[in-house]
Amino acid sequence: MLGDQSSELSENNGESESPTLRLCANGACMKTTEVEAKLDEGNIQDAESSLREGLSLNSEEARALLGRLEYQRGNVEGALRVFEGIDLQAAIQRLQVSAPPPEKPSTKKKVPREQPQQSASQHAANLVLEAIYLKAKSLQKLGRTTEAAQECKSVLDSVEKIFQQGIPDAQVDTRLQETVSHAVELLPALWKESGDYQEAISAYRRALLSQWSLDNDSCARVQKDFAVFLLHSGVEASPPSLGSQVEGSYVPRNNLEEAILLLMILLKKFNQGKAKWDPSVIEHLTFGLSLCSQTSVLAKQLEEVMPGVFSRVERWNSLALCYSAAGQTSAAVNLLRKSLHKHEQPDDLVALLLASKLCSEEPSLAGEGAGYAQRAVNNAQGMDEHLKGVGFRMLGLCLGKQAKVPTSDFERSRLQSESLKALDGAIAFEHNNPDLIFELGVQYAEQRNLKAASRYAKEFIDATGGSVLKGWRFLALVLSAQQRFSEAEVVTDAALDETAKWDQGPLLRLKAKLKISQSNPTEAVETYRYLLALVQAQRKSFGPLRTLSQMEEDKVNEFEVWHGLAYLYSSLSHWNDVEVCLKKAGELKQYSASMLHTEGKNQNTLLTTLLTSLCINMLIFDESSVPCKVAVGALLSERGKEHQPTLPVARSLLSDALRIDPTNRKAWYYLGLVHKYDGRIADATDCFQAASMLEESDPIESFSTIL
Amino acid sequence: MSDSSSSHDSPPPPAITGVSEPPVANDSDTNAKCQTALQSLSSIVTTATIPPTISLLLEDNAVSAAISSLLQLPDSGAGDNNLCRWLYDTFQSSEPQLQLLVLRFVPLIAGLYLSRVPLRQPQAGFEAVLLALYAHETTSRAGQAVTVNIPDLSHASIYHESKGPAKNNSTCLNIAVISSTLDPHGTVRSTRRARIVGVALELYYGKISMMPRESKLNFCESCEKWAGQNGEREEEEQPRGLIPEEESVAVGGRSEKDSGRIPLPWELVQPILRILGHCLMGMKGEDREVCEAASKACQSLYLRSLHDINPKAILATGSLLRLREMALDPKNQVDHTEISSDNVLSV
Repeated sequence: MLGDQSSELSENNGESESPTLRLCANGACMKTTEVEAKLDEGNIQDAESSLREGLSLNSEEARALLGRLEYQRGNVEGALRVFEGIDLQAAIQRLQVSAPPPEKPSTKKKVPREQPQQSASQHAANLVLEAIYLKAKSLQKLGRTTEAAQECKSVLDSVEKIFQQGIPDAQVDTRLQETVSHAVELLPALWKESGDYQEAISAYRRALLSQWSLDNDSCARVQKDFAVFLLHSGVEASPPSLGSQVEGSYVPRNNLEEAILLLMILLKKFNQGKAKWDPSVIEHLTFGLSLCSQTSVLAKQLEEVMPGVFSRVERWNSLALCYSAAGQTSAAVNLLRKSLHKHEQPDDLVALLLASKLCSEEPSLAGEGAGYAQRAVNNAQGMDEHLKGVGFRMLGLCLGKQAKVPTSDFERSRLQSESLKALDGAIAFEHNNPDLIFELGVQYAEQRNLKAASRYAKEFIDATGGSVLKGWRFLALVLSAQQRFSEAEVVTDAALDETAKWDQGPLLRLKAKLKISQSNPTEAVETYRYLLALVQAQRKSFGPLRTLSQMEEDKVNEFEVWHGLAYLYSSLSHWNDVEVCLKKAGELKQYSASMLHTEGKNQNTLLTTLLTSLCINMLIFDESSVPCKVAVGALLSERGKEHQPTLPVARSLLSDALRIDPTNRKAWYYLGLVHKYDGRIADATDCFQAASMLEESDPIESFSTIL
Repeated sequence: MSDSSSSHDSPPPPAITGVSEPPVANDSDTNAKCQTALQSLSSIVTTATIPPTISLLLEDNAVSAAISSLLQLPDSGAGDNNLCRWLYDTFQSSEPQLQLLVLRFVPLIAGLYLSRVPLRQPQAGFEAVLLALYAHETTSRAGQAVTVNIPDLSHASIYHESKGPAKNNSTCLNIAVISSTLDPHGTVRSTRRARIVGVALELYYGKISMMPRESKLNFCESCEKWAGQNGEREEEEQPRGLIPEEESVAVGGRSEKDSGRIPLPWELVQPILRILGHCLMGMKGEDREVCEAASKACQSLYLRSLHDINPKAILATGSLLRLREMALDPKNQVDHTEISSDNVLSV
């Protein structure tokens, strides 16, 4: 096939090769030079008659041969003139009459006796059909695509009329089949070129849903072309007609479904070795499935691709992209570890950056991620220099996350300052990257450099035009940490104005807490009530199809609201209301350390023993939860006033919590209490001092909730 | 607005000039609306002659260029801008032909609007137009999400048979959300801005086969600005604040930091990619200029997605770029419908 095409290409370049052309029929052969000369003079009649004499042909045959000669010489106008001289419609009519009569439907196709008659009629049919086909091709080359499409369509219509029971596949003439296949493939392309998209769609479907005995490769080409058309033409195809549907089979409803279906079928064919691998198919499928955010389906398709098509590193990296887009972080990290192994491609920048990003989300992986990020920084050279800033940014994020893993204080502050250094390095490359500005701000905030943090928070809001909710929340938190509660509330209100109702949850929660901080419990209760109504409405009206654009990772849950309200009531000593709230909360979640904590306060010592044991159960479930540890520690330390033996447990829990989160004000406070009850007044003083210092810079919700 | 939904459901007309929309409104009404729109346009656009009919206007390059340059004026997006008001009114007429005319300028409006947001200019005019498009889409699909069932080859389909045991047809298919549900919005709240513009782009994509090439070129330019990656990798070292002279003049010199780079959440990236895919592979004839502009835009978006380390966008833009490369490869430019050229021609 390829050989044919290369000769075709050279043939199109000039007519230098034409002397070698020969015309053969009925056992005789003749050179084309003489005929060509006549054609060049525009003397079709003469050319025809010399063919008829030389090769003993009838007029139609001679014309068809002449047309083909002209076409092959690249003289499409001449070819068109010749073809227009044949009455093709009449020829088709004749063929229809001579075609095997349809009143013998029971005839099995493969009866050998019929062969000569059949092949004779096929031969005649091919002569006519090929002529029409070449006429269509000539018209196409002249840019008359609509006429070309009509001619081409008449080829297919004729085939259907002549061979009403399908082309007998056992003894089909190869040239006839070739013409039919060509026409099937050409027709949709012609309609597309002429801009008649609806015709194109039905031509594609006709090609794929009728029996044309296409070979696998041309069928694959038509399927691919159709898929590309569906994906990119921007014309919505109506669903396939009912006639083509088999009971119970899957019928695509829209373009994307149909395109993805076709591409998947193609890929399966490749995998089964039924068609030649075409690299564009997997790319189209990648595009289509990424558009639908279905990268886990894509991963499955990639995994099924035959080995040897992609290098393994290529495959691992693509799979890692798929998995990470689908939120399957650990699968992605595992694949990247393999592809970044020193024996594979340890310097691949995209893989390094992706790996470092994924690792930066997980404290236990952050150290590993910092290594990848450093390698990315080192390797971002030459053409890829622009990615150096991204490497630095990831390095900063990983180090910042690493600082959260309990280590020594010294190690922690080293990591934190290195994290800042890396982020500062990144901003030199990407001074206009808002994400980076935000991350830098959060890093400063976590180190309690609130001035810098608020500057970056404002810069982020400016750069994003206030379009990112977390920017607003961050600024409000920073202001609250600076004890500027009323300003924080102004920011929160501004943010509420810029937010659609369904997304307001976290802001309302923030607002309620700000109200409490400003000793305004009545308004806080109002805000909580509003929030509660919102959350409940949300729960009722949200189907699975609503994706909350910016809220996915930060949904306010109802439990939290009830709990917050209970806490608020308990500070107002409205014990009945507390009980109602806690009951509601309890219906949503059976055990929760912080809820039990509130309950403990409520009913005081009666239940404490029971609560403590429940809380310890909680810790078993969630070992690293700082709030849990602090809550249990606080319970035990309060109880320790009368019951000394609980104090060591409280102390170790609280110290543990502080190792993870050294800025936890409550932990310092209760640790101070423990020391006080134990009689270590100096230690207690230190702890209380730490607690009060932190109180002055404590945000109303932890900064780590927004990154 | 009420009859617009019915016309939206009908298959799109086959060609630009196709007037084959079902005659919902009567002809004289349509004509009157079109004439009013043309007349009021002629009072706004004074530098070009307005053609007598809408279908001519759609393809009139001189008028489009005049409108484009008006849109690019520094304060073009203001609430009292005549052109914005005209675009708004024209779209609200719910005449499909007139709506196409407005959609034609969506790339330019969206591009200018999003890039100007950090400049804190008043843009109520642009917002009104975008909100009208958003409201139209919200009404016509009743706020519902657009979803796709991801096929599963173990079910037989119209295009293939499945050898596996016939499964229950109701087996849950993978449902993918292409465009999430739409809530009505009366104003552009900043956190919803990307979604509103994204929906306008979805609407544009829905009619993209009827859009003139200049409109697509506008779009590709906007994309490049949004991505903020300046195309060529070598130039990356320069601080991006340095933008070409003529641009800062165009925005009235008030915007040195206007590099145009904007946050690109998926709700924007997704429709952007669909439009670029069309410009690269879906146009009826090969248009080299549009293709090249689209592939430059793709390149910028690819670099941007690397900077954002956004795996989904890396996958999608990467595949578009590789497809473009394959299409340019002469090895793949074989015409399979060409007949084999033997040296011996026989009957």
